[in-house]
Amino acid sequence: MFRTSRIAAVAALAVSALALSACAPTAPEPSASASGGGGAGAASNETLTIATTTDVVNYNPLIGNSRSDYWITNLMYPHLLSIADDGSKEPQVATEWGYVDETTGFYEIRDDLTWSDGEKLTAEDVAWTMNAVKRDAPSGTFYGQLANFESAEAVSDTRVEITLTTADSSIVDEIGFWGNVVPKHVFEPAGSVAEFANDGSAGGWVSAGPYLLTDVQVGQSYTLERVEDYPLVEGGTPYSAEVVYRVFPDVNTEILALQSGEVDVIANSLPPAQVETLRNTPGIEVEEAVGLGYAHMTYNMTKPDLAKLEVRKALAHSVDYEAIRKVVLQDQAVSTGSSPLMPVLEDYYDDSIEEYEFDTDMARELMEEAGYTADAGGNFPVSFRLIYSLQDAVTSQWVTLVKDGAAEAGITIELQGTERNTYLAQTNAGDFDIYAGNFAIMDDPVTNMTLAYLPEGAINYTYVDDPELNELITTASSTTDKDEKVELMREAAAIVRDNVYDNIMYTQNLYFAHSDKWTGFVSKPSELLSIVNPISVASAHLK
Amino acid sequence: MSIATFVLRRLARGVLTIWFAVTVTFLLLRLLPGDPALAVASPNMTEAARAALLEQYGLDKPLIVQYGLYLVQLVQGNLGVSFTQSVPVLDVLMQRLPWTLLLTGTALVATVLVGVPLGVIAASKRGTVADRAVQVIGVVGQSLFVPSVGVLLLYTFGLVLGWLPIGGAYDTGTYGNEWYLSVLSHLVLPATSLVLIQLGSYVLTMRSTLIDALGEDYTTLAHANGLPARRVLWKHALRNALLPTTTLIGLQLGFLVGGAVLTETVFAYPGIGRGIYEAVTQLDFPVLQGAFLMLAATVVVVNMITDVIYGFLDPRVKTA
Amino acid sequence: MSADKTLGGAGTVPLSAAEAMTSTTAEPVADENGRASAATWRAFRREPLGLLAGGLLALLVFVAIAAPLLSPYPASFGENVLRPPGGGEWFGTDALGRSVYAEVVWGTQQSLLVAAAASLIAIAFGTLVAVVGAYFRSIDGFIGVVVDLTLSLPVLPLMILIAALVGPSTTTIILVVAAFSWPEVTRIVRSQALTVVNLPYVDAARLMTTSPVWIITKHVVPTVTPVIVVSVVVTASRAVLSAAGLAFLGLGDPTTWSWGRILYEAQQSGAMSSAWWLTLFPSLAILALVLSATLLSIAYNDARNPKSRRR
Repeated sequence: MFRTSRIAAVAALAVSALALSACAPTAPEPSASASGGGGAGAASNETLTIATTTDVVNYNPLIGNSRSDYWITNLMYPHLLSIADDGSKEPQVATEWGYVDETTGFYEIRDDLTWSDGEKLTAEDVAWTMNAVKRDAPSGTFYGQLANFESAEAVSDTRVEITLTTADSSIVDEIGFWGNVVPKHVFEPAGSVAEFANDGSAGGWVSAGPYLLTDVQVGQSYTLERVEDYPLVEGGTPYSAEVVYRVFPDVNTEILALQSGEVDVIANSLPPAQVETLRNTPGIEVEEAVGLGYAHMTYNMTKPDLAKLEVRKALAHSVDYEAIRKVVLQDQAVSTGSSPLMPVLEDYYDDSIEEYEFDTDMARELMEEAGYTADAGGNFPVSFRLIYSLQDAVTSQWVTLVKDGAAEAGITIELQGTERNTYLAQTNAGDFDIYAGNFAIMDDPVTNMTLAYLPEGAINYTYVDDPELNELITTASSTTDKDEKVELMREAAAIVRDNVYDNIMYTQNLYFAHSDKWTGFVSKPSELLSIVNPISVASAHLK
Repeated sequence: MSIATFVLRRLARGVLTIWFAVTVTFLLLRLLPGDPALAVASPNMTEAARAALLEQYGLDKPLIVQYGLYLVQLVQGNLGVSFTQSVPVLDVLMQRLPWTLLLTGTALVATVLVGVPLGVIAASKRGTVADRAVQVIGVVGQSLFVPSVGVLLLYTFGLVLGWLPIGGAYDTGTYGNEWYLSVLSHLVLPATSLVLIQLGSYVLTMRSTLIDALGEDYTTLAHANGLPARRVLWKHALRNALLPTTTLIGLQLGFLVGGAVLTETVFAYPGIGRGIYEAVTQLDFPVLQGAFLMLAATVVVVNMITDVIYGFLDPRVKTA
Repeated sequence: MSADKTLGGAGTVPLSAAEAMTSTTAEPVADENGRASAATWRAFRREPLGLLAGGLLALLVFVAIAAPLLSPYPASFGENVLRPPGGGEWFGTDALGRSVYAEVVWGTQQSLLVAAAASLIAIAFGTLVAVVGAYFRSIDGFIGVVVDLTLSLPVLPLMILIAALVGPSTTTIILVVAAFSWPEVTRIVRSQALTVVNLPYVDAARLMTTSPVWIITKHVVPTVTPVIVVSVVVTASRAVLSAAGLAFLGLGDPTTWSWGRILYEAQQSGAMSSAWWLTLFPSLAILALVLSATLLSIAYNDARNPKSRRR
């Protein structure tokens, strides 16, 4: 009696919960695009499953900059240029690119690319995308590259010319690499590209890459189907019929899923301490992708103490860089010699610039030179607040070593790790003494120095304004001769290093794990491209 | 009190509860530090672009105006548009909420089915080894740290034994009955971990209320009348002891729906708790406000349901 | 209990067990004198689980206080990374080669501090509100509504929200946990206090003095003390779980060692399944604390309840 009524009530609750869920995706059978092999012998019916830790936030490649957004939209909206391990650019949609004159750049693009709805990808799409981004200023990396860009024009079906406001010898490379091409016939009717969600609600997506997004289960999976005609991959057709991105918020679960065979690839780079473990795990292979960025600390020169060169030097000499690279990064990082010109940028790298030596006695002397006197306990009367993002696992680990090193030199560092948004807000407001962070891709020294060391630079976290340095950078940015440019950059790098305008600590090489059943991945620099770049995903195949 | 006034009072209280949750969330988001424009934009954004974003989000207006606009919007049934995703908040949430309800609902039913009998056993065998064992099991479950248990379960049943899947709510590419089976198999591990941590509350509540009820006069009277002890236990005492348990269900579901965030994280389950965590990292105000509204609404609805069940179980309420 | 008091009928998950017990055993204990507490103590001593729990709790407190004697402060890095327990390292080493044993020992301090501070704040504030409400009946209704409304808020998501916005630190954690624990305390204490203020001798006191403070401190507070004691223990242990949960989501204090931080770093380094020792030892520590606190409060309640004592 009462028991049955209770059970009935509980059952009603359960049923209502179940009913709600059943309303969700009962997934009707898709029309099974059973066109197994589009001509090329390489195509298969396999599914490649890739794990990621976050959901897609934006399907519009022109907005946002999260990893999953980048990986998934990259499979649909191609870039004009790709990048080589040394940071030089490679053809992708564009086959040739360069300058017509000082303030005019050009791209010649392929004529064999087609959007998945049958429309041809033409120079008009490319030019429209650039102009729309300039007009609507969407909050992504693409817009950040357009400072000296005025307008673009499709002078033929396969040639785009861009007009610049001032001479800029890097912009063609940079726009080509960072900018996607989106279909004008889909994006133009939607209005501002800064507000267009492109969430597929108006009848799905359109792709000119190897795969087309067809199904989204938020918090769980993103299913992409093969685009039969993709001329950028060998054979002209991607191997896997389907690519499924699955969301695993926790790295540990991600690794378990790879071990159990539920996923074939982990898109995120492995935590340094896991690389050896996974290398020795049967069934798993680890691929390397060279790093093309750096981790660094900047000292806020608007603070009176840090405006003194000796203090900045003292701080730079109290960091045990060797230990950081050996323990925290498990020897997976290389020293840049405290220079913004990383060894990976072979043309620019200058091995005569040497890393700050870890020497706390020297640091103490420098502090005394700067006019500070240590108290009885050996501590100088200074305290610096170092900010970093808690989402950045590697930095979170090495800042402790930075703090301990400084303490040895009698300098107090107070660590302030915060959630990413707070960290960004603090960074932007200059609300810090020392900033610790990293950049994934610093491929072009001139562009990066412009952003990092010119007074108006968006990432000038040192607040440096050195006339000599400014002069070198602005000259370099209008110099087209490569050797001359390299020379100017080396001079600038030496100034940055000697004045501790930036403390660049290492370039981290990244490691990615996949199931040993799969092979044929094409590794590209940085976590953004790694082994999940479009070519790699399209080429990967079963052994 | 007539039924009508009773219902009206409950409804008013429900609305008040939802309003409170919405207001608290609204104020917290705006009064605590954090700049949503930064969360969606790249760091090298100009000051002008940032101001434009803030204007687009309506965050440049005075607080009281924002609040008024938001309430008006809510009354019209509009939860707003996500900052980061530019899609309606309702769409964002409805993709996740059903999974959370399924997970927590299943866990709740399983907990009650296991917890109530255990509580009865403990109470009726008070002071024995069985009683202590039940108490310890319940309390140990409550004291476990979910992620650790989660990884252990996944490692054991997902990897070593390979019986159950790792992560997700179902396998993509399954349809019909196969799909239901897939949903079920993905449910087992996360639900188990939720049962473990909840069980203690039910067992201990059941046990302590039963001990009280067994001591009350009418059960003593029932004993005197010569009814067999077991019938007394199961019928009279249990009936009374179920009341607090019912209340517990009402509160726990509301709590769990949002509180399952750790479980959802470790088991990669696409629920709303994880959704809230992600919205927090993106400072997506409209999604957060909408999510907290949904959670409050869930609490209200479940409480109304438990009220009805209450009425069934306890005749005294009707006469009150 | 009427249906109208549904929200007041049981607690949110964390406290519900202890709460259910305290509310159902909420007899007027104003007359509990020395003899009664002696009886409680006698009954308590006969409960092996309670004694065991008390011992365990005392051990944890000892570890927290004597941490400097038990282990040096965890170094910032070590040479041997991810070594399993054995050799010189009882609990193994973590992804930076630091001693997990040292981390757990020093983490005890921080974890107990959060527990104690959060629960003390919650209890001080919660009790104050409850006692004042019980005495000044005019505002009691209002307090009841606020408590019910606060209890219906989704606690963990709100904690996440605040910790993320304010920025993680030990103070944040303590305040956040306290901010969402006081209503529970208020409700438990309130039901107890209400039974007291209506007793004849409090009425008599009301006639003799006009100072509510005197009556509250002299009569009401001593009566609710046992309830508060139980509340302290349970709130404190729950605070540890909440703090660990927040830390695991990356919202803990990243610069002080706590059990939650050890687990968080294990998670970040992807080592939870391969390096079991990183997960096991801090988890065991959390288990030991919460378990002993809960068992202790159950045993105390049972001992205090004459009804269950008789058997």
